[in-house]
Amino acid sequence: MAIEKDTEMKDAAEPPKAKPSEASNKKKMKNGKPVVEEEELSEEDLELKNRLELFVERAKDSDSDIQGVALDGIGKEIREATTSMTSVPKPLKFLRKHYPGLVQHFKTLSSSSPNFHKFADILSVLAITSATEGDVRPSLSFRLQGSQDNIVSWGHEYLRNLAGEIGEDYQSRRESQASADDLLALVKQIAPHHMAHNAEPEAVDLLLEVEQLAWLKQYVDEKNYSRTCLYLLSCCAYLPEGDDVAVLRTAYDIYTHMSKWQDALRVALQMNERSLIEESFKSAGSSQIEQQQQGYLLARQGVRLDLEDDSSATHVADEGLRERLQGIVGNARLSEWYLALARDLDVMEPRTPEDVYKLHLAEGRAPAGPAVDSARQNMSSSLVNGLVNAGFGQDKLMTVTTEASTSGSDRVHWVFKNKDQGKTVAVASLGLITLWDIGGGLAQIDKYLYSKDPHVVAGALLGVGVINSSVADENDPAFALLYEPISSSDPVIRSGAILGLALAYAGTGKSEVNDLLLPFIGDTDASMETTALAALALGLVHVASAQEDAVEAILQALMIRSETQLSDPWAKLLILGLGLLFLGKQEAVEATIEVAKTLNEKISQFCQVTLTVCAFAGTGDVLKVQELLGLASQHIETEDATAWKACHQGPSVMGIALVAMAEDLGSRMAHRALEHLLQYGEPPIRRSVPLAIALLHVSEPSIGAVDTLSRLSHDADSEVAQNALVALGIVGAGTNNARMAGILRSLSSYYYKEPTMLFLVRAAQGLVHMGKGLLTLHPRHTDGQLLSWVGLASLLTVMFSSLEMKATIGGKHPHLLYCLAPAMRPRMLLTLDEQEQLLPVAVRVGQAVDTVAQAGRPKTITGFQTHTTPVLLSIGERAELGTQKYLPITPVLEGIVILKPNPEYIETAE
Amino acid sequence: MGQGQSGQAGFPGGGGKAPEKKDQQEKKKKWEPPAPPPRVGRKQRRRDKGATLGTQLPVITPNAKCKLRLLKLERVKDWLLMEEEFVQTQEQLKPQEDRNEEDRTKVDDIRGSPMSVGSLEEIIDENHAIVTSSVGAEYYVNMLSIVDRTELEPGSSILLHNKVLSVVGTLTDETDPMVSVMKVEKAPQESYADVGGLEQQIMEIKEAVELPLTHPELYEDIGIKPPKGVILYGEPGTGKTLLAKAVAHSTSASFLRVVGSELIQKYLGDGPKLVRELFRVADDMAPSIVFIDEIDAIGTKRYESQSGGEREIQRTMLELLNQMDGFDSMGDVKVIMATNRIDSLDPALIRPGRIDRKIEFPLPNVKTKRRIFAIHTSKMTLAEDVNLEEFVLAKDDLSGADIKAACTEAGLLALRERRMRVTHADFKKAKEKVLYKKKEGVPEGLYM
Repeated sequence: MAIEKDTEMKDAAEPPKAKPSEASNKKKMKNGKPVVEEEELSEEDLELKNRLELFVERAKDSDSDIQGVALDGIGKEIREATTSMTSVPKPLKFLRKHYPGLVQHFKTLSSSSPNFHKFADILSVLAITSATEGDVRPSLSFRLQGSQDNIVSWGHEYLRNLAGEIGEDYQSRRESQASADDLLALVKQIAPHHMAHNAEPEAVDLLLEVEQLAWLKQYVDEKNYSRTCLYLLSCCAYLPEGDDVAVLRTAYDIYTHMSKWQDALRVALQMNERSLIEESFKSAGSSQIEQQQQGYLLARQGVRLDLEDDSSATHVADEGLRERLQGIVGNARLSEWYLALARDLDVMEPRTPEDVYKLHLAEGRAPAGPAVDSARQNMSSSLVNGLVNAGFGQDKLMTVTTEASTSGSDRVHWVFKNKDQGKTVAVASLGLITLWDIGGGLAQIDKYLYSKDPHVVAGALLGVGVINSSVADENDPAFALLYEPISSSDPVIRSGAILGLALAYAGTGKSEVNDLLLPFIGDTDASMETTALAALALGLVHVASAQEDAVEAILQALMIRSETQLSDPWAKLLILGLGLLFLGKQEAVEATIEVAKTLNEKISQFCQVTLTVCAFAGTGDVLKVQELLGLASQHIETEDATAWKACHQGPSVMGIALVAMAEDLGSRMAHRALEHLLQYGEPPIRRSVPLAIALLHVSEPSIGAVDTLSRLSHDADSEVAQNALVALGIVGAGTNNARMAGILRSLSSYYYKEPTMLFLVRAAQGLVHMGKGLLTLHPRHTDGQLLSWVGLASLLTVMFSSLEMKATIGGKHPHLLYCLAPAMRPRMLLTLDEQEQLLPVAVRVGQAVDTVAQAGRPKTITGFQTHTTPVLLSIGERAELGTQKYLPITPVLEGIVILKPNPEYIETAE
Repeated sequence: MGQGQSGQAGFPGGGGKAPEKKDQQEKKKKWEPPAPPPRVGRKQRRRDKGATLGTQLPVITPNAKCKLRLLKLERVKDWLLMEEEFVQTQEQLKPQEDRNEEDRTKVDDIRGSPMSVGSLEEIIDENHAIVTSSVGAEYYVNMLSIVDRTELEPGSSILLHNKVLSVVGTLTDETDPMVSVMKVEKAPQESYADVGGLEQQIMEIKEAVELPLTHPELYEDIGIKPPKGVILYGEPGTGKTLLAKAVAHSTSASFLRVVGSELIQKYLGDGPKLVRELFRVADDMAPSIVFIDEIDAIGTKRYESQSGGEREIQRTMLELLNQMDGFDSMGDVKVIMATNRIDSLDPALIRPGRIDRKIEFPLPNVKTKRRIFAIHTSKMTLAEDVNLEEFVLAKDDLSGADIKAACTEAGLLALRERRMRVTHADFKKAKEKVLYKKKEGVPEGLYM
């Protein structure tokens, strides 16, 4: 069957060179009188048939000369045959019935005969249409007996067929451990031919099957390297383990070979291989701009390199450059660029929470009156205010009234209109408002540090952390400010300092943090809350590093704590801290999981599942998904006392989304699984489904997801509804999506009597309008290729806290929502010139199109609009330069991009 | 002004009742989430189907046969297997039927029995509509919340409660019975082997219609969009319909056939509606081939026309134009049209983009004639003296249909004389008869 199918697609039977002639041929037939042509054609056919039969007769001749001539004749006929794609080439059709005879004759031929090879060649070609079903790889077996050179002359279709057979044969030989050198010799001919004729995917497939990807490097050139690598990179998500690394490595080698340092670094980051990252950074050293551009990518991913140390591989000798690079990698000017974007889009005007709530649009009942507790309302207002004005440095509650309070004594500052944790939230929101702006922000927050109210101090400490999140300053002000209060005796101040530390150093792997935090984890007298926060902080700081000290300490804590302590909701966050350490570490987690099995039964399974899902986050590993679905399919009968039995199902549901989120196919399929879970699942499962949906759609309000979440937000089970509200916030984060705003408005009047719900609705509203729509929480960036572990970790922190809503966000720790700060990034495209000055150029922004393995030069975006940078990019959008005047240093236009003038550009007068 | 006043006057009373009302609303909201905005019409419903979480499988790119595609398909398969496993275990633990049983009886209770059938005239708001019952009178009635609003559209058949006539369900037989008739259920007997000659035409139609449905990747490899439709034209009796039948015989795609005149309807707007329906069904059953025979019935050139009938026909054609290359993409639907008067067709209909290939069916040449004769005489018992070559080589303008007629005629002549074999003389007579019939009315040699 397969053979017949192949012959049907005969379109590619000729090498591409022959195509123009065929096309012109066809044209001639169409234009000319078909009546006459047909007549001639059939005469031709007859003649051809007779000629071929004669050749066949002669080929069986004993005289080797005659035989040789005849074989050449057949070969010539086959090569010259052109035909429609709907049918088999004529010579092959006519020769079909002679095939068995020829094979018979060939078997009598001695291998020393002068025509032996030629004969085998012909049979090999004939075999692709004429072989009977029982034959095993007929074409290949004849080919191996035939001449080894010039096989590409038999046409593209033949090569395709041969390549397929080589792949199969290689597999079977590998199983029997036979040598495959002869096959590889063929591959050496076929692969370059494919590469040279726009069939990169086929070449890659073949080399992948014979495990010789390394050869690709020698075949690529300026024209086909990008297509080849694109194909390699998109394969990697679906290949079995081992192969995927090889593929990435090959892509890395090709990019390095072609001196495409930006791409090389991207792949190195995707592999998360420190040595490769350093290598690609170092090899780009010849060009300052290249290194600066790499710096922006490193900053986005949150990878810090050691530039100063002489002994490190990435040492930069030039002091000026080093400082500049350090600034770039440390996001020093992030705030500046962000404000430039805001000014360009004209959204500098601060907005009040009321602008966001738009109460006048909400139906009927305004959430006012005695039912609402005003402390809560003020708290949510501070949070929303912080989120909406995030990074702008000015607002109408926190920064403005400072002056008013000094002049008018009767007006109380906003902070003091709050109670307890409300004050914490209010002060910390100042951190959000001055996000990334270390100089300006710290000055404003400073005065709260010396307040007598522990909640205010805690808020200030948290604010310090928020300001410093994902920004590195050489003076390290955060550490200096947080160092002391962390040992404070007041638990409120202490937890604020711990969280602040976590946010300020998320993803930096700063070892000094260990000294401060490890004591809390080891201390059995410390409350679970403090221990858990410290563990979380460690997890955030050393995210995805499996740092030994931290792992050991947390495991130790889990082992020595008593059963009652472990059944505390905070134990789950303690475990999450451990999980974050292993984020994306895959197999490295095994040993820890073994240890987790020995833990107290109340948390043992929760711990195992959490570790698994964290370790395999973003891998798309189907086996893990199966395991997790298996866990989620159990129906566990629980009562209040035994609720812990089902608590591992929450992370397992989220895990499905977490594992699948890195590639599109998996996340689409995960939706279907989640739908089933909603349909069949018990309450513990249903509760985490909204969070799983949110993970799949961070900052990406697709209609399907929003509809489902909006349905769930009215669920009878209040925990499902609460989680759906959090999920709605995360899904809409930073999009200014009007539809979401409408849904949330109606929810706010729906839940006007329930303070917790209302707070969550408000938080979601704030998130949707986060940074006035200039920010995103999405952890995937650079065309969705890279996953920012810090971003993911901070999202997970909020989501795991939502699993225990009552004890955390919905209770005394609403400020846990600030953990989202490290995930916040401006969703912008900013173009700079070589002197790092803003350079407005025209860019086209449109929906990204999957162009892998497409013929020709397909458009990468569709439905585009032309804007002038800086512009906003949504999830699933891509940008292209709209002018020839400049060339981007990096092929992926996202974040901050340096442009250099195009030397070949000629100004055309218009 | 008057309205405003009455609204104000009513306000205090309304205010007094408000708290009660609020509570009621509150209660109601508790068990019923806010209903989705009212949606009417079919197109929208189809879009909604895709929008819900995970009912559709993702589209796999690239289309070319490569390992990436294989891997992606395998990944989808893995996920589906997991889903299957999951659903199976769930069903074993807690069969869905049992869970739904209760709900269903509840719904049945609400519906009451017996029910009557009516049709929906208009949707007033979320919960009210105007319906006509089978008796004929129109009623303003409630729509129960159990009815899926997205299924409702004006004109659809609905189930009514027997007493209060509220809408309790929908009858979802959505396809127009006219269209369902058009589907070719039984493949015609004629295959490509029954077509004498026409190799070029067969090849072209295969390339344009069949291959894009079976091997779309071939077109993508080259980087072209496959043609959307072809038109077959040529003298009467040259095998246009025969070839279409052969396509229907050999294809695995669903085949819809229409005759142009079928699309002309009695009532205004019915013709365009039928065309729309036709293409919608074709899209639902995709991949599919739509064959419109005798397209000149509706596809003639547009001109100033006075009669409403003609204008209606033109509107039908305009709908056809829109369906073939309009705003909505046709997807995996290919169109074949046949006519023998291509010169009278509207140029917009046969422009590239709608009809990408025009395939001419010429009168058969000598070789083709020979093949046609061979096909038609293969089952006849011929006398030894029959020399078909004589007819083949004759210079008459014989079409394929003429040849068939001549052969049948010769057989009839032989029957008349109760002979078991058909002789050469029979054929000669038959051919003359056929030719005479063809030239009937035109005095021979007048314009020579």
